[in-house]
Order: sequence, then structure tokens, then C-alpha cells
Amino acid sequence: MNPLDWWLLLAVLLFCIGAFGVLARRNTILVIMSLELMLNAVNIALVAVAQFRAGSAGAGVLFSLFVITVAAAEVTVGLGIVIANYRAKRTVQADRFDEMKG
Amino acid sequence: MPGGDFHPFFFVVIAAWILICGLGVVLFRKIVYSAVSMVFCFLGVAMAYALLNAELVAIIQILVYVGAISVVILFAIMLTEVQGDQFTLFFNRQTVFAAPVAVATCVILAVMLVSSEMTGVGEASLNLSVRELSELLFNRYVFPFELVSLVLLGAMIGAIVLARGEGEKR
Repeated sequence: MNPLDWWLLLAVLLFCIGAFGVLARRNTILVIMSLELMLNAVNIALVAVAQFRAGSAGAGVLFSLFVITVAAAEVTVGLGIVIANYRAKRTVQADRFDEMKG
Repeated sequence: MPGGDFHPFFFVVIAAWILICGLGVVLFRKIVYSAVSMVFCFLGVAMAYALLNAELVAIIQILVYVGAISVVILFAIMLTEVQGDQFTLFFNRQTVFAAPVAVATCVILAVMLVSSEMTGVGEASLNLSVRELSELLFNRYVFPFELVSLVLLGAMIGAIVLARGEGEKR
């Protein structure tokens, strides 16, 4: 395995930790935090590939900056939704948001 | 060597840091502990960028994630945390399904990674300076740059509208 493979393996592990958090936890704030872990894992993979491969011409680095920006926007909107839900239901647990259950 | 000299010692230390803090985020029962663990995980990711010779991304990671996003999440926790909520049990029936799915995804991706043969790895990649990166950003990638500014504006307005609530007229 060359160094790039090790970096990508780190990204895979972090991504799966985040995926576990998204699937297993019920606190919606914690789901958003796990989502951030997954985005960070993708960023590590982008930057690693960009730094190890010739001819990427800064695209990986710039794309990771765009991912960071969109993640910031996603966190603000997500937490806005969480707080609005908390006002309505006095809880942040995902399994209590069951108004649309058939 | 492209991507910085590969220091196995530093890589192992930073990888262990990131993974332990990441596990802390999903495994801690108290959400404030998870948030603090997340801050340290983001710091570890910034160190990983620095080890990869991507200084600009490392600095922006610290500014945006460690500085801004962590504070926003801590504020949300302070605004919403319910003391003594009985639903904070960690091992629930979702864990039974989530753990195998996460482990299977991990194994599949790792096997794909090891068995694939990427070409062009290890050739001399041009390590761009901040000046060259900004020239790229404002020439070739100026359209996504403007698009991202629109996304941020929309997110800002949306977050204010959502968090202010409909009933309150001020």
C-alpha cells in the first residue's frame, strides 16, 4: 500500500464512524454532528488524492473548500430546523417527530 | 515527494487521534461530551491537512469548523438540551441495524481501496501556493464561487426564519 491508500483508509474509517452515528443515534443534533464527521472524511479523501496525484491543478483543494462552505450552510439550516422542532415539541429526539406517521 | 513526505509516525498519531475522537462523538452518552470530542476531531483533521501540505485547507478547517461550526452546535445544545430525558439511552434497537451496516460499508470500501490500482499516484504533483489557488478560484472556478455565496445567503435567511419561529411577531 502506498501512502495515498493509508490516507484513503483513514477517510473510509471516519466516514463509517459518521455513518454509524447518523444511523444509530436519535438525538437530531448528534445526527448533524455525525454528518459533519462524514463530510470531513470526504474532505480528507479529496485533499489526499489532490496532493498525491499529478495534474489535479488545485481542484481537490478548492473543492474541499466548497464542501466546507456548503457544510457550514447545512449546519445552520439543520440546527434552525432542530430548534424550530424543539419549540413545537419540546424534544430533539428523532423518534418523537412522528406527525407524518401513517 | 508529493503530498509531503509520508511520516508513518505522525500519520499513525493523527489517524488514531481522529478515529478515537470520532468514536467519542458517536459513542458518548452525554451530548456535550460528544460536542467537545467533535471539536478535537476537527482539530485532528486540520492536522491531517497540514501533514498533507495543504496549509490553506488546514487554516480554513480551524477557522470554520473549530471556530464557527462547533460554537453553533454548542449553542444549539445549550438551547435544546432536556435534563433527565429518558430517551438518551444509547443502545437502542437502531444500534442493532446500524452497526452491521456501518461495518459492512467499511469493509466493502476498504476491500475496494486495497484491490484497486490507481494510476499516476506518486508522480510529482504541483503543490500550489495560496496565490495560485486564488487565481484558480477567481478565474476557472468563479462560477461555483458565486454559487456558493448564493447558497450561504439562502442558508442565512433560512436559518433566521426557521429559528425565529412563526408565531412571534416582532
